[in-house]
Amino acid sequence: MATQAEIFRIDGVSKSYGGVKALDGVTLEAGVNEYLSLLGPSGSGKTTLLRVIAGFEAPDSGRVFFQGRDVTHLPAHERGIGFVFQNFALFPHLTVRQNVAFGMANGVEKVAEAEIAERTQSVIDMVGLTGMEDRGVEQISGGQRQRVALARTLVMHPKLVLLDEPLGALDANLRGRMRNELRAIRERMGVTFLHVTGSETEALAMGDRVVVLDRGQIIQSGTPDDVYSTPASPAVAHFLNRFNLFEGSLSGGNFTGPFGAVAAPTARRASEDVYAIRYDRVRVVPAASKVTGPALTARYVASEYLGSSVMNFFETADGKVVEVEHHLSLGAPETYEARQNYLLTWEPDQAIVFGREGK
Amino acid sequence: MESRVLKPILAVYVVAFILFLYGPFFVLTIISFQQGPDGGPQFPITEWSLYWYKQIFGLTPPSRIAPLPVGEALVRSLILAFMTMVTATVLGVMSAQAFRRKFRGSTFVFYMIVLGMMVPGVLTGLGTSLLANNVIGITRHWYTTAFATHVAYTYPFAFLVMLAILNRFDASVEEAAWSLGVKPWTTFRKVTFPLIFPGVLSAMLFAFTLSLDEFPRSLFAAGGSEDQTLPLAIYGTFSVEIHPNIFAFGVLTTLFSFALLSVYGILMAMSVRRARKLAMQEDIA
Amino acid sequence: MTDVTVASKRRGSTWLILPGVVWMALFMVVPILMICYVSFWTQTTFNISPTPTLASWKQFFSSDTYTGALWTTVRIWLIVLAMTFIIGYPTALFVGLFVKSKTLSTVLLVICVIPFWTSFLIRVLAWRPMLGKEGAINIILQKLHIISQPIEVLLFTELSVVIGMTQIYCVFMVGPIAFMLGRIDRNIIEAARDLGAGFGRIFWKIIFPLSLPGVVVGAIFVSVMVLGEFATSGALSGRKVNLLGNIIVTQVGSLKWAMASVTGVILTVVMGMVIAAFLRIVDLKQEL
Repeated sequence: MATQAEIFRIDGVSKSYGGVKALDGVTLEAGVNEYLSLLGPSGSGKTTLLRVIAGFEAPDSGRVFFQGRDVTHLPAHERGIGFVFQNFALFPHLTVRQNVAFGMANGVEKVAEAEIAERTQSVIDMVGLTGMEDRGVEQISGGQRQRVALARTLVMHPKLVLLDEPLGALDANLRGRMRNELRAIRERMGVTFLHVTGSETEALAMGDRVVVLDRGQIIQSGTPDDVYSTPASPAVAHFLNRFNLFEGSLSGGNFTGPFGAVAAPTARRASEDVYAIRYDRVRVVPAASKVTGPALTARYVASEYLGSSVMNFFETADGKVVEVEHHLSLGAPETYEARQNYLLTWEPDQAIVFGREGK
Repeated sequence: MESRVLKPILAVYVVAFILFLYGPFFVLTIISFQQGPDGGPQFPITEWSLYWYKQIFGLTPPSRIAPLPVGEALVRSLILAFMTMVTATVLGVMSAQAFRRKFRGSTFVFYMIVLGMMVPGVLTGLGTSLLANNVIGITRHWYTTAFATHVAYTYPFAFLVMLAILNRFDASVEEAAWSLGVKPWTTFRKVTFPLIFPGVLSAMLFAFTLSLDEFPRSLFAAGGSEDQTLPLAIYGTFSVEIHPNIFAFGVLTTLFSFALLSVYGILMAMSVRRARKLAMQEDIA
Repeated sequence: MTDVTVASKRRGSTWLILPGVVWMALFMVVPILMICYVSFWTQTTFNISPTPTLASWKQFFSSDTYTGALWTTVRIWLIVLAMTFIIGYPTALFVGLFVKSKTLSTVLLVICVIPFWTSFLIRVLAWRPMLGKEGAINIILQKLHIISQPIEVLLFTELSVVIGMTQIYCVFMVGPIAFMLGRIDRNIIEAARDLGAGFGRIFWKIIFPLSLPGVVVGAIFVSVMVLGEFATSGALSGRKVNLLGNIIVTQVGSLKWAMASVTGVILTVVMGMVIAAFLRIVDLKQEL
């Protein structure tokens, strides 16, 4: 993927709103035909980043390049970058067909009537809206609106499409289906997608590359597997929502936390000392068991059935909730007794340790 | 508990309030059917008749009471109201559009515009006529000075209506159009304007009716008798003796306005029902 | 360079706002400044010249007719303002708060607005056969044997001016108050009721404070219109009640531009003080 030509690049882009920094020196690039997921909590500046790239907002400093050209001060309608809104932003007074044809019919470059009709129809067919052409967009379902929004953008043959939480307004069932369709459509069209999402599952599932944004800065960028198994910082680990995080202190290659002192030879450098262990790496043993390595006494609270796994919630003496995930493919779940203490333990080498002493 | 007692009391009160509002109108209607041409504008009704209505349309033999001088004044007023409506609405839409972005001095400009509906007509009327008459030295006309004051009066209303509409307007549809390569001006014409059109319509309605009935500004800023608008013509009858023909005229204009309003209401109700029907079909499908 | 887009956007805003600002400057601000300017001009019987003098100002404050008009204006304004509030608030309370159905409250508001489709001057005039010695009110009261002699103070007095103005302007009080009351979250009232608060307490602690912006907006509407009035007082008082507006009309009628301007400036000052006082209570721009 590294060999692919670059489609867009932003260079040290900053943007503040009334003294609050939404973007703080963000530098990011994407290759042709890449699917980039931009993951960040709300308020991390991810929507602002998209709006700067689209040209809806001007950055305070930094530059935006698209297809090798500096477009920092180019108005949005001259950029040729597609944008799919979270609320779809369809033209409510137009039909499905008119919505899709809108850009060609009203754009700067004139497109012949026949070509408009042909291109409109073929995109409508592609997104599976055949037969709905003359419906008003208020008369179709949420999933269909999503398809219109996508068709309207793709019919312009953009080289880059920005998607702002495009699945956020859909129900869970539809979201799963649309994920697959988004990927399929993108592969067929050969276009770069920059997909902003607040859902770690969505980001990990969709992207060729995942970029994690926090407080206006990029804190990690890599393949989904990279990000998932080796989060670059406690913030990423926290945001992935897959790790129990413990505070403590790292000193002399040992991490001391609520579970005792554990060797941490591979600790990574970070501004705070944090111990992270994945939910599905924690084992539960009876309270009286003798274990070597980390041992954390916690009270069983509740379980949540997730389909392919069961999530068990435990609470330590000082009120911290620890989550333990049991994959059902590994056997039937054990049952725990409510309000009873258990011992939680794990293999120390499966933990990820961050600390000021790390490398 | 108290509201169970209070509500009926208030309901009765509101009925009395509505009677108070409509009282003069009832009296006006009754008197408009006074016998003519000798019956005066007061009770009792000597004989019910349509005389004064016929007189307005010139269907009665000439008598000592001159017909209302409303014909040309009405035409002038309608043209003036139309000119005012177009100008005020265009200005109102433009300014409200500008207010969607914060700009320096926006609070000052806001109050300056809104002042136009607050300053009494006597003052703007007097000031404009001083300016035209004593300083610049031009003749005042209904289509020049009076028109200028009418716009300065109705434009703030149009502006506020459009501001309220645009405040609720979702800007992402415009951004969507830009991202499809559509120029801002085309976007305004093809997306923004059709969507704010109901608001534009109410702004137009506001400006038109306000201008049609505008009186103090016209009194000062319009010129002589060849410049009379409808309210000026009616005001002219104040100083001479009043006859029931003016009440008959009032009834006619009210009925006309009422018919317009009903048509508007029926059209709205029909479009709402159609939308609801479509939504229901969608639920079934 | 960075500011290019920002600057061009700002220029767009300027072009959009400019025509309106210029219009208001030329046909509202300049005319009012004109009034101030001309109030210092020298007035002779048939002419007026721009030689500065305080003569007209001195004349205004030394004449009982003029200062009397100022006090009458303030008095009528205060009475009408109080009347529109007292008469309008219960109606607004019913329309905005007690009527649960949105359709009914809209219908009621439309009913209140319909009289405005009759020309303002004709509406004023209609009070004459209503209030006159042989008017509708006297006839009804006599038929009901409540009075034996017709009440004569009803027409061509200050009372008739107050009645006429109250009827014409009270809807401007009802509208904004009903709007603010309609915006009150009913759950707050429910919660207060659940906590055992009686209606009186709920009204003074919750409902009235929340409707205050509406009262202020309504009061501004009414004040502005009443202070600038001259037609109602002219038609219903038989020239007995002279407001500042009436002075301006008569002075202009006899080409006394300087005196009309002095009166205009005083009216402007009164108006400015009233509006400023009301705007201190509520930020109008915020409420929109």
